[in-house]
Amino acid sequence: MANKKKSEDNLKGTFYAVMGVGIFVILVWVYCFNLFIDRF
Amino acid sequence: MHIHKYEKYFLVFGVGTLVAFLIILGIGAFHQGSHPNSGKKTLDYEKVKEIAPFDNPGVHKVEGKDWDYEVVILASAFYYNPPEIEVPLGAKVKFIATSEDVIHGFEIAGTNINMMLEPGYVSEYVAEINQAGEFLIVCNEYCGTGHTLMHSMLKVVDPNES
Repeated sequence: MANKKKSEDNLKGTFYAVMGVGIFVILVWVYCFNLFIDRF
Repeated sequence: MHIHKYEKYFLVFGVGTLVAFLIILGIGAFHQGSHPNSGKKTLDYEKVKEIAPFDNPGVHKVEGKDWDYEVVILASAFYYNPPEIEVPLGAKVKFIATSEDVIHGFEIAGTNINMMLEPGYVSEYVAEINQAGEFLIVCNEYCGTGHTLMHSMLKVVDPNES
């Protein structure tokens, strides 16, 4: 139990990476949904 | 319990998208009535050729319904009856289809019409045809040796042209 400094962890990079993946997933979904709406 | 600030943001974003997509799914299912194409009507697939409307496959104009045309399709290894479908542009068409032997697919390429045809079950889909041209219909469920040859054509004709 040497390093117990959890509150000091810098999660900024992780945060941006996960948000990037989230936005990519939403954009792909919007593109596919639009394709579905446009077709008969 | 300690939760990191960014972890809280992840959770809000994650739960938020989950809720948003569940709402979209709910609107589609309960308000717009999206549902699987088959499972509502069943019939005896061995006598399907004697049962209406499958005793007379083809394109039929109908009156007094929410749609203008009914297209009755009977699929069997390895062809569709009728082999070709012709409807006018702008028509609201109900596709009514089933299989008389094994599971077949009914996909009109480039459109949202994509149904599985199961023996004993009637698959239905209503579409407003708003694009002229020829659309290839393919079987997308492996049904046997002739599967790759199983296709048909939807011809959407503009009544104001020619």
